[in-house]
Amino acid sequence: MAAAYLSNILFKGIASRSLSTPLTGSCYYGMRYLNTVSNDPDTHDDFKPANKHESSGISLADVVEKDVKDNPVMIYMKGVPDFPQCGFSSLAVRVLKHYDVPLSARNILEDPELKSAVKAFSHWPTFPQIFIKGEFVGGSDIILNMHQNGELKEKLKDIKSKQ
Amino acid sequence: MASSRGASVVLSRANRIKSKLQTALEATVLELDDVSYQHAGHAAMKQNPSDNQETHFNLNIVSPKFEGQTLVKRHRMVYDLLADELSSGLHALSIVAKTPHETTTTTTASK
Repeated sequence: MAAAYLSNILFKGIASRSLSTPLTGSCYYGMRYLNTVSNDPDTHDDFKPANKHESSGISLADVVEKDVKDNPVMIYMKGVPDFPQCGFSSLAVRVLKHYDVPLSARNILEDPELKSAVKAFSHWPTFPQIFIKGEFVGGSDIILNMHQNGELKEKLKDIKSKQ
Repeated sequence: MASSRGASVVLSRANRIKSKLQTALEATVLELDDVSYQHAGHAAMKQNPSDNQETHFNLNIVSPKFEGQTLVKRHRMVYDLLADELSSGLHALSIVAKTPHETTTTTTASK
């Protein structure tokens, strides 16, 4: 908690403009595929389909695939960008905020099934996981390394900046 | 798992990690720091407060087998070797993976 708080302070210093800017809408806190089931007061657990995503015809693997395809910079993390709940996720967000690109995020702590789906998709065991232009780039160590050696700048340069 | 903790006959996770990596990657440098204490309070760890030991490590590894491999590949090699540990409570690994050649030519920003 203290670490997250501290990193927020640091991160304000670096990119205060980003904190107040809403991130790409539907993905941020993006639990749109869950809403159909869990927010319906008339449903009961007993009546849920065995696979809750089946009813909409969208599997979590599809959700992940669509996420990384539709969002030039997609991060699956613990917590949300302005309140990361893990030092590694915090670090990754801090690095990405150096660049003027839209950042889309999902909080895997909110959904263990999504967490598994992302791991299966990337064959990578830990979080955060960062995808740029549909390509898996790695976790916080790698993104930091790419930031330091200029590779990240190169990779992000043709992504149009946020409003 | 929990019952094995503290038993002297069982190798610590740190030792298991080291021996797995050393054997497979023929590391010339292999430093592993247990930093679990730094993460004892965070969200995922709170769910299981009794399992706060040997969950987070910093790994500095130099191996000739990383030659020609991207960082993602190098990390995957490490993760693949530690699949058992990752599925039994190893929570996070911060990895610095270099080739012997890179350690002589690069100056690292950190330390």
